[in-house]
Amino acid sequence: MFLRYWKKLGRNYSQSVNFRTSENLPIHQNDKHIGLFYTLKQEKCKELFGSGGFPKSFMKQTKTFTETSIMIRQPALDIMNCIQLSDFDKPAIRYVLFGEKGSGKSLTMAHLLHFANEEGFLIIHVPWVSEWLRRVPRHKEMANSLTRDGFVDLPLDAAAWLLHFKTQNRVYLKSADLVTSKEYVWSKREKTEMGKPLLELVEHGINRVKYSCDVIDVLMSEIKILSNNKKCKTFVAIDGFNSFFYPLTRLNTPTKRKVTPEEVTLTTSFMELTKNNWTNAAIVLTVDQLAVPDDRQESYLPRYLLYKKGFEHIDPFVPMEIGRYTEKEFLSCASYYRDRLWLRGPPDVETELKFTSACNPYRFMEQCAPL
Amino acid sequence: MNVILQYYRSLGTARTLNLRIWRLNSTSADVATTTKGDEEEEFRVLDILKSRQRTKKKVTRRNDVQPDRADRMSIDQKWGNVWPGPKTFHPSSVPLPLRQGYVPKGHVPPGKKANAELMKIPNFLHLTPPVVKAQCEALKQFCTEWPSLLNSEEAIENHYPVETITSDYCHAGPTIRNPLARIATLRVKLSTLNLNKHAQDKFIRLVGERYDEETDLVTITADRCPLRQQNLDYVNYLLTACYHESWNVEDWEHDKTEEDMEYYDWDKNASKKSLVQWHLRATNMPNDLSDMDYVEYDISKIPNGEEYKNAVSSLMNNGESEETLKNYGAAVRKLLGLPEAKI
Repeated sequence: MFLRYWKKLGRNYSQSVNFRTSENLPIHQNDKHIGLFYTLKQEKCKELFGSGGFPKSFMKQTKTFTETSIMIRQPALDIMNCIQLSDFDKPAIRYVLFGEKGSGKSLTMAHLLHFANEEGFLIIHVPWVSEWLRRVPRHKEMANSLTRDGFVDLPLDAAAWLLHFKTQNRVYLKSADLVTSKEYVWSKREKTEMGKPLLELVEHGINRVKYSCDVIDVLMSEIKILSNNKKCKTFVAIDGFNSFFYPLTRLNTPTKRKVTPEEVTLTTSFMELTKNNWTNAAIVLTVDQLAVPDDRQESYLPRYLLYKKGFEHIDPFVPMEIGRYTEKEFLSCASYYRDRLWLRGPPDVETELKFTSACNPYRFMEQCAPL
Repeated sequence: MNVILQYYRSLGTARTLNLRIWRLNSTSADVATTTKGDEEEEFRVLDILKSRQRTKKKVTRRNDVQPDRADRMSIDQKWGNVWPGPKTFHPSSVPLPLRQGYVPKGHVPPGKKANAELMKIPNFLHLTPPVVKAQCEALKQFCTEWPSLLNSEEAIENHYPVETITSDYCHAGPTIRNPLARIATLRVKLSTLNLNKHAQDKFIRLVGERYDEETDLVTITADRCPLRQQNLDYVNYLLTACYHESWNVEDWEHDKTEEDMEYYDWDKNASKKSLVQWHLRATNMPNDLSDMDYVEYDISKIPNGEEYKNAVSSLMNNGESEETLKNYGAAVRKLLGLPEAKI
């Protein structure tokens, strides 16, 4: 019994040296930890990514591996470093993550979200923009906007997002500083008075789905004001941001008219948020080929995916390429998969997999699945 | 007389006797003796016309075909005199062991004599280097001296920027005219023309694919007229017309918008506006600029602004690639005061 325990301990130790790090706080991670995996706590995972944030395949993998481990990679560390060194009194800096399909943009963003959460940022996180604009389930709730003419509301999506926002910022929303700056009248009987906590505003949006889009709009402007007044610092993360700039969405109005992204109220709110006319914030966006239809997937570079309009909207931004695995990262990942029994077989399987997957993280994971 | 004959006859029998004795001893002379014996036994033919004698009277003629001229040439002769002008190949005039033609298996190519292959192909035996040199020497007296100031390619290009290209064709045939000789080409560097920004842009649009961006050359070719001089005139006319037309500004040209621009002019684009806005916000200056003010804003006040401008312009004009994007990233990081990217 003791011997077995000892063996297990020894194995864990040797493996932890290889590919794991016990440095679970992103703040303390540095260049020495590149290529190593760190594990997120279960509660943290639920709080941050409970309703989206991880890619579907990664979610499945965490269930298989019974843990949520993220590899520490250079781009994430670089952005963390930049955020720490940047002057928060100056306009918000926009970082754009780009890279090939499956190179780990969303996971880098998840890593950064964890960092922001630990650092005490208020998080505004959109898990996948295409979920709003491009995914059309049978009964997509759509309504014409009451406050803005010619605009389209997505009340259910907006309410779901508000819930996501609420769970992600459960801790910070309780703070007494985050209060509304003016009175908002929703209807004859409903209004949010000045000086009420933001949480109340959010809950109003969740409970009264009809107003959820307007609540988001108000919430964004409130957060901007609060950030400007240094009441909070904000971390904006939008995955698949280029979806906002594709000329058409897949939405149709009841009169069968195609809807452009600009006509969706959510778009305007988040466009306003990604401008650099406010301070005390960091904005991380990803541009992804998967966020737009096949005809716009020729290149993964941001100018192409964002169109001229989107490029001008977020210019000047810091481009950050998420590349394929380096030699070290690949070996580390392979030994992690071996540890999780995701990859088995003779050791020279890895050299072969390296060629067949071309060091693409997603493809490597997929190809290991049947092994 | 009779005695003599008898003597001869007896002598003859004695010889035959003698030979018969020899025949017993030897076998080698056997054939010769029998044939001789047969001849002697043959009937003599009375040759009245004596035709046999007449045929024997063969006249041995003297062989007056001279040896090949090519074999008799001295090695230090003047080749220019042997082969003064272009002409068809002649084997006796060329002291070279030439071979040309179809080679059957196991054979060598046919020699130079009576070789149609060699006669068919054009030869340049009249243009050997010493001959060319001699002819040049002879022509020199008719030439003027090369201007001393045109001592380099650059000087020539500078003083004579327009280059015309025509081709002369020289061949033996029923006519010395070649229709290809009429084609005239004119080449000029765009930078040597006196054009302003608008005129240059218009000129490039007018000449279309005749302008090569890499070498900065405008090449105009004409072959529509039957004579070379006409084509040359036409080419010159085209250049002149394009030049003057490009200086004209039509009314509708003022309607050109940013989307119609053939290149990305950073100063007139949103990128400059956002840079200026960022700068004003970062330095807490009031922002009350109109659109014209943005265009005219002096970005040399903004630290690293110039570099950012170049990076955006190259990203837009040269197309997006990993390299231009990397430059852009580096410029933005400098602008925003962020640490440089680690690779």
